[in-house]
Amino acid sequence: MNNEKPIVQMRKVCKRFGNIKALDDIDLEIHPGRIIGLLGANGAGKSTLLRHIIGLYLEDEGECVTFGCKAGKLTPKELGRIGYVPQEGELLEWMTVKQLIRYVSTYYPNWNRQLEEKYVADYEISTKARVGSLSPGQRQRLAILLAIGFEPELLILDEPAAALDPVARARFLDLLLQIIQTENHTIIISSHILSDVEKVIDHAVIMKEGRILLDCSFDELRERFSRVRISALGGELPAELPFENVVHCKRSDGQAILTVQDCPRKKLQEQAQKLNCWVEIETLPLEEIYKIVVSS
Amino acid sequence: MSILTVNLKHLYQRRGLWLVYVCLGFFAFIGIAVSFKHPAAGQGQFTGLVVLAFVVGLLLALLPIEILSKPFSYCLPGHRKVVRNFIFLVAVVFNFLTSLLFLSYPGLNSWQLVLVICSAFSAGLIFYWLGVWLAFSFRNSAAFIGFLPLVIFGSTFFGLYAIIERAIVGNPFVVILVGVLSSCVAWLWLGNAGLARRYCGVPGIGFFDAWNRDKMQKYRQVRMAKKWDKLKKHPSPLVETFFLGRMNRYDYVGTGRYIWGALYTAFGMLVLSWKEVLSILLLALVIVCFVGYMGPGTNILFIMPGLMVAQMRLPVYSSMLISGGRTERYRGAMTLVITAAVLVTVLATLVAALSLPLATIMPDITLRGRTLTFSAMNIELFFIPLLMIPIAFTIQLIYYRRPVVMMVFIMLVFMLLFATSIIWREQLSAVINPMYIVSPVVLSWVLFTLVLRYVCMRRCLAGQSV
Repeated sequence: MNNEKPIVQMRKVCKRFGNIKALDDIDLEIHPGRIIGLLGANGAGKSTLLRHIIGLYLEDEGECVTFGCKAGKLTPKELGRIGYVPQEGELLEWMTVKQLIRYVSTYYPNWNRQLEEKYVADYEISTKARVGSLSPGQRQRLAILLAIGFEPELLILDEPAAALDPVARARFLDLLLQIIQTENHTIIISSHILSDVEKVIDHAVIMKEGRILLDCSFDELRERFSRVRISALGGELPAELPFENVVHCKRSDGQAILTVQDCPRKKLQEQAQKLNCWVEIETLPLEEIYKIVVSS
Repeated sequence: MSILTVNLKHLYQRRGLWLVYVCLGFFAFIGIAVSFKHPAAGQGQFTGLVVLAFVVGLLLALLPIEILSKPFSYCLPGHRKVVRNFIFLVAVVFNFLTSLLFLSYPGLNSWQLVLVICSAFSAGLIFYWLGVWLAFSFRNSAAFIGFLPLVIFGSTFFGLYAIIERAIVGNPFVVILVGVLSSCVAWLWLGNAGLARRYCGVPGIGFFDAWNRDKMQKYRQVRMAKKWDKLKKHPSPLVETFFLGRMNRYDYVGTGRYIWGALYTAFGMLVLSWKEVLSILLLALVIVCFVGYMGPGTNILFIMPGLMVAQMRLPVYSSMLISGGRTERYRGAMTLVITAAVLVTVLATLVAALSLPLATIMPDITLRGRTLTFSAMNIELFFIPLLMIPIAFTIQLIYYRRPVVMMVFIMLVFMLLFATSIIWREQLSAVINPMYIVSPVVLSWVLFTLVLRYVCMRRCLAGQSV
C-alpha cells in the first residue's frame, strides 16, 4: 500500500456520450512515483478517463480530483505540473518546430532547455521544419518533447508510441524510465502496444466498456497468472492434472500447456512434484494476461 | 448486391449530399417555374436545367474520385469500370428528365419536339461531361463549386442561356452529334485503367472536407510532407518576438499570458503569411469594384468578413495542453473575438469610406444596352460586422463538431439578414437609429458571452462530445 497522498482521485465517475456510457462508476487513485499502464481495447474509455484527469472532460456523476483540485477547475498552477500527449496529435501547424517549442515553453517557468536540446538531438527533430510538414512519427516525437520539456510531475501519454518506429519506441521507453528515476514523477501511459508497455509499467489498470476490470501493481498481476508446461517423461500424461484455477488448457502428444490464475507459484511447484513429469512454470506476458482478464 | 448498386447508395447515404439536392432542387424549381411562366421561345428560359447538368456532373464525379482515392478501393476486381457506369447512369437519368422540360416548348410540331428533346438531352450531356472533365482534371476541384454563383450570374448577364437554347432548337443535329461524340470520348476516357491508378490512395479534398478540420489537417500533412525540401523558408521572427515578448510581461499563472498566447496563435499565422493577406486585400478591392456595380448588393461587403472570420479557430476546443485552464480559455477566446470584431469593423468601415470617393471616379459601364453605375457602400451599416461576428462565433461554438452544419447555419443566417436588408431596405432605413442598432449588437454579444462561458466552463473541450 502506498501511504502517500494520491495525486489523482476518481470517485464514482460516470460519463455518457449520448447513449454510450464512456465511463461507468470509475474509482481510481494514482499515487506519485509510479508508471501506470492504462490498457484496454478501442472504445474502452482510456482516453476519456485521461481527459477527465486534466479537466478537458467533465464528469456527469462522481468526482475527479487532480493535485487536490477538482479537475474541471484546474488552474495554471496545477496544469503547469501536468504534461499531456494527446492521441489526436494536435499541434500548431503553421509554426516551425522551433517556434512551437518556444511558444509552449513560454507557459512554463521550469522549462528545461538542456533536456530540450538533448531530446532534439537524440530524436533527430528538425527544428527548422514547419510543424505541418512533419511526418506522423516526427509529430509524435515533438508532442512528447512538448509534454516532458518542463519536467512535469504527472505525465499523461495517450497512445504515445503508436506512430513511432521500433527504434524510436525503444528510445522513448528508455526516456520514460529516465523520467521516473526522478523522485515523485508519475506517468500514466495508455497504449495498445502491450509488449512495450510491460517493459516500463509498475502498475496496471485494465479497462473494458467504460469500467475498470483490474487495478493492481504489475508484479501482483504477473504473480496472479502463470503458464505451466508439462511434458510426460515417457508414456502419457495423466487424464486429470492436479492444478487448480486453470483458465486454459491445451494438450497434445504427452504435452500440456496450462494457464493458471490466482495460484501461487509455490503451490504450483508442489502440485507439479506429484506428477511424474517435467514441469516448467513461467510468467505470462502482459498481452496474454490482458486477453484473459478482458475475456473473463 | 452489385458493385454499381453499392456505389449508387452513396447518393442517399451521404447526408452532405442532401443539402446539395436541396440546392439543386431549388435551382431546378426556378428553371421549371420560369419556363412555365414565360414560355417564350429563344429567350433562354428552357436551358436552366441543361446548364445545371454541368454542376451535377462536377458534383457527381467528385463522389467516385473520393472513393477512388481510398487505398484498394478500385484495386478490387470489377471495381474500375464502376466509375464509368456510375457516372453514365446518372448522366442518362438526369439529362433525360431535364430534357423533358422541352415538351412545353412553344411552336413545335411532334417531330420537331422529339428532335429538340434529343438535342436538349445531348446538350445536357455536353455540359455534364464538361463538369465531369473538370472534376477529374483538376486536383481538389470541389473548390470550383465556390465559383458557381459567379458563373450563373455571368451566364445570365451575357445571355448565355438564350444562345444555348437557340443552338438546341435551331441546330439539333449538330448538338446531337457533339453530344454523342463527347459521350463516346467520355466512355473511353472513364474506362481507362490509368484513371483509377492516378487517384488510388492519393489523398484529396472531397465533399465538404473544406470545413472538416481533421481531414484538412491530414490532407495538409500528406501534401506538406511531400514538399519537405521546398519548405526551407522560415516565417519572420519579428511576429514571434512581439507576441512572446507580450506574453512574458505577465505572470505565469496570470491570465494576460494566455490572452496574448491566444492572440498569437490566431493572428500570428495571418501576419506571417503576409503575401496571402495582401492577395486577399487585393481580391477584396476587385470585389469592391465588381459589387460596386451591383446596386444594393454592394453592402454584402459588410457581411462577407463575418463569414471569413467565422473560420478562425477559437482557443476553446483544443487537446494541445498548455497550462491554461478553462477560465484562461474563456478569457483568451473572448479577447480574440473582440479583437477580431474590432479589426474587421474598422477594416470594413475603411473600405466603405474608400468607396465614397471611388463612386465619383468610377465610370459608368454600358453592357448589352444596360448602363451600370458604381454605387458606394452605405457607411451607416458599419455595425453589421459587430453584429455578425458574435453570431457567427456562437454558431461555431454550438456546432463545432459538425462543421458542415455550422457553415450552412452561418450562411443561412447571413443570407437571411442580407435578404431582409434588401427586401425591406426602405422600411429599415426609416427605422435605423442608434437605439435600433445598439440593441441587436448588444444582444448578439450577450448571447455569445453566455454561450462561450457555458462551453468553457460546462462542456467537454476535446474529442467526441454531445
